[in-house]
Order: sequence, then structure tokens, then C-alpha cells
Amino acid sequence: MAAVRRYDILDTPPDGAYDRVAALAARLFEVPVATVTIVDEDRIWFKAAHGLEGVSEIGRDPGLCASAVLRDDTTVIPDTLLDPVACSNPLVAGPMGVRFYAAAPIITADGHRLGTVNVLDTRPREISEADASTLTDLAAVVRDQLELRLSALHVIRAEQERRQVEQEKRQAEEEARQRAERDKAAIAAFASTLQRTLVPPALPAVPGLELACHYKTASPQEVGGDFYDVFPVGGGRWAFFLGDVCGKGAEAASVTSLTRYTLRAAALVEADPTAALKALNTALLLDAAVGTRFCTAVFGLLDPARDGGFTVTLATGGHPPAYHLSPAEGGGVRVEAARAKGGMLVGAFAEAAFASLTLHLAPGQGLLLYTDGLTEARTADGHMLADTGLTDFLAQRGAPVSAGALIDDTVALLDTLPDTERDDVALLALSVPTHDAVPVGITTTAHSAAAPTAPADASVGQEIRRP
Amino acid sequence: MTDAFHIDVPHTDGALAVIALSGEFDSAAAPAVRARALELIAAGHADLVTDLSGVTFCDSSGLGALVGIWRCAKDADGSLTLAAIPDRLSRLLDVTGMDTFLPAYPSAEAALAARQSNRTTV
Repeated sequence: MAAVRRYDILDTPPDGAYDRVAALAARLFEVPVATVTIVDEDRIWFKAAHGLEGVSEIGRDPGLCASAVLRDDTTVIPDTLLDPVACSNPLVAGPMGVRFYAAAPIITADGHRLGTVNVLDTRPREISEADASTLTDLAAVVRDQLELRLSALHVIRAEQERRQVEQEKRQAEEEARQRAERDKAAIAAFASTLQRTLVPPALPAVPGLELACHYKTASPQEVGGDFYDVFPVGGGRWAFFLGDVCGKGAEAASVTSLTRYTLRAAALVEADPTAALKALNTALLLDAAVGTRFCTAVFGLLDPARDGGFTVTLATGGHPPAYHLSPAEGGGVRVEAARAKGGMLVGAFAEAAFASLTLHLAPGQGLLLYTDGLTEARTADGHMLADTGLTDFLAQRGAPVSAGALIDDTVALLDTLPDTERDDVALLALSVPTHDAVPVGITTTAHSAAAPTAPADASVGQEIRRP
Repeated sequence: MTDAFHIDVPHTDGALAVIALSGEFDSAAAPAVRARALELIAAGHADLVTDLSGVTFCDSSGLGALVGIWRCAKDADGSLTLAAIPDRLSRLLDVTGMDTFLPAYPSAEAALAARQSNRTTV
């Protein structure tokens, strides 16, 4: 039976070759019915039937095909009614009334019995030995056909298997590609999460203060060496800092991250700006991986004053001066550099000293902090903007000072300069609104070199103005 | 507009070496300066005089290189002396407080002479 299955011949559509064998047998033996059958477990299936209309299979009743298939030679039953087994076969006892039956088994090269080639008549008759041999030959023809078909099947199956293997391979490749894309997305999400620890956060809303900032990195990954932050330190006081790690890109960003967290942590322990810079100096010198990395920073503490302004304690660690802007008598703005003498680079010298000064930020006044990406930006004639260029620009502005407008105008100034994508730039402005006009709020603009106008990260790219 | 950056070592004498820089001392030049200085320190010239008379521009990267060199020289029991500091760098050294750590002289000759007199007085 396994062989029958292997040849996969059962219930296949009529096939010209077997039909011709059946027709040939009928003609040679001058019988009304000739068939090619395949013997299945529970039935005898007619692969080809000449003279039998509408019959495709019969039961495995003994006596005829079912017996013939088990024999090695040709079965000849001249008169079925005289055969003790065949006489009760439905083909004999039934309406067909078969009286003569001869069959040759179809035996494969490896000895498997697949079925029979049969000739049947309704009259008893004798056949010669030569006729019996002819039947055997016809069975051999069928066998050869089946073998041919089998080898063709093998080829087809091999082709199907090859296709299936290919399809599975394609499927595996597609799955691998999808997995890779998922992994890539996961890595991107991870990197973006990490990046959020590196880029400055959104500014908080500080009562009675207008805050604005601008952050642009030279690297398209939006990580850089510049940093700033504004955060509460309790008792209605706020701390802020801005600085610049020497270097750019990812390497600088790792120091930036350490710096930001150290300053935040230090401020919570002791809200003294000089102490915060000292703590940062120690942390940077201790960090072996950081090694010779250092930064410049301004650290400030905001204490609400009775006039609605703030008392600002400003410590400097080797950073260029902040500018204190106040409305001048007779219009215009007075620009004062606010830098305590003696503040050194942070993280370079164990002996470094830091100094602070105190100023009063009254309503209508503002404070601008910046990194050297601004002052080292070159003007069209190739010279650096420098301190003088910046102070001249600031002095030409009108009063009262608004942090939002100050940042907007400074960014506009930067945009007029060529080649400003060379360095990171961070700007932070604080202003105290006058009592009459009070648009307190936050303005954030952020640009990376890759996406100067449309930053991907909403936490950086927001532009908020709160009434 | 950018001049090619040059590093020369016009003079060595025992532990001493003069390293002369010219051109724009920026992020592009800083790694080479640092590498050359560290080579000199490794070769036993831990007392470095950096002649900046040819420097037309120095930004924070240049400053960073100087800090790195200073630290390495100090680790090797050496020193870093600056000579002929351009105006802008002088302001940068003032802002960063580095002028308190780095002795400066108007020229390489003055730096060498000062060193010579130090040596004779010690």
C-alpha cells in the first residue's frame, strides 16, 4: 500500500496512456471490458476502464482483481461460475455477470504490487499462453508508465520541495529583516531615551520670571558639550546653570551628562553656587573615564526679592561673563558683564578656586547666559563676534528686557552669521517682567545641525509661551 | 582664510623643549598639538615652553589641549610655560583662571632666560 501511495496514482484524473492500454487490451482479446486498476486498502480503483461507463472503483472482494494482484503470474479464469472464489464476486454474481476474467499484476521493479491489468467478458472463454504473456506485457507497460510518472513526480516534488525551502528561506529572511527592524527601532528608542538624559530638559515655569533658551548642537544626534538647566531647590528658590564641556559630540555628551547630574545633586545638598562648582570639580577629577575632560560653567541661585525681582548669586567656573541687562535712563539698555573674579575652569585643577557675586535682577531687567559657540561665531568678514560684538548687539536693544525676545533676537543674529554649525551653542535668558505688562512664560528653541528648524524630540522642540 | 597649522620643536635642552605653534589653534589642530607634546614628555622633555607667537586664533579646543598638556607635564614632574600669548587667548586664560597655573612670558627667549636665571639661583 505504501507503494501505491508512493506512486500517488489513486484518484488521479484519466490519463491517455492507461486508457490506451485498456483499449489495446480490449481489442487484442476481443473482450467488451478491459481495465487498469490500482488496488487500494479498501477498494479497487479503476485508473482506466474500457467498456465500463461510470464505474470508478469497486470493493476489494476476493476472486478477481484482489486475488490477481497477489499472484506473480497472470490469472486466467475461463468461467467464473466454475471458480469457487470468483463465483461469489459481485462482478460475477451481480448485474454485470462477468464469466471470463484474466489479469496480470502490475509489479514494480522493487517488487511492490500496485494493481492489475484486466480483461473481462460476459461469456466464458479460453486464452492461449501467448495471450497471457501479452497481458503480462501490458501490465509491464503500465508499470513502466507508472515508473516514468513516478520519476516525473520525483522531479516535480523535488522542485516543490526546493520551492518550499526557498519560500521558507525567504520567510526566514523576511522574519530576520523584520526582527532587525524591530531591534533597530528598539535601539533607536533606547538611544533616544539616553539622549534625553543628555539634552537639556524643557524649562520649568518659575513664578515671576520669564525664561527662554536656545540649544543647538554641532552633531546631528542632538547631543553635545553644551548644557543648561533650571530647577527648584526648595524654599521658593531656584537654581540654574549653563556651561560648556570642552569638546563636541558623543564624547563631550558623556561629560555633559555627568556634569548636569552632579550640579543638580550638589545644589540639593547645599544651595551655594560656589560649593556646587567645587563639587563638580571634584567629581570630574575623580572620574577616571573622564580623565582630562573639563568644562566651564556658570551656576546661579535665584532668591525671590520683595520688589518682585530676584537676588541672583552667580558663581563662575572659567566661563565667559553673563550679561546683566537693565533699562538705561533715557532709553536703551545698559549691559554689564557679571563675572566673579577668580573662577577657574572646572575639572582641570584639583586646586581650582571658584568665586561668586551677587546682583539684583529687578523688574524690567534680564540676564543672558551663553556658551562660546555664540562669541566664537565668525562674522561674514571672518572675525569672531567676540565679547565686544555681543555687548554692542545687546546695547542696541530696547527696554524693558524680555527673555523670549532676547533669545529670539540672539538666534536671529546667529542665523545671519555664516558657518555657525561648527560649534554647539546654548543660550539661557532670564528676565523679570515689569509690573504692568506681565507675559511670564518660557520660550524654548532647539536646533540640531541635521534638523535646524524641526527637531524630532518634542521635549526639546517645544515652543511654549504661557500667559 | 585658514592658514596651515604648524608645530615645530626649534629647541631642546635636557628636560626642556620649546614647541612652537603657528596658525589656527582650534579643534582641528588641538589633537596634533597634544600628541606632539606628549611625545616630547615621554621622550624626557617634561619642561615645555609653548611658543604661541604664530597663533592667529585659539578657541576652547586649543585651551583644552593646553590643559591636557599641563596635566601630563605635571604628572611627569615637569611644567608648562606659555610664551607670546595672543590677546584673545590671554583673555581666555584670564576667564578660565588658567593664568594662575600657567606661567607666561612675552617671548620664548624671555621664558628660557627666566628659566635659566631660575636654575642659576636655585
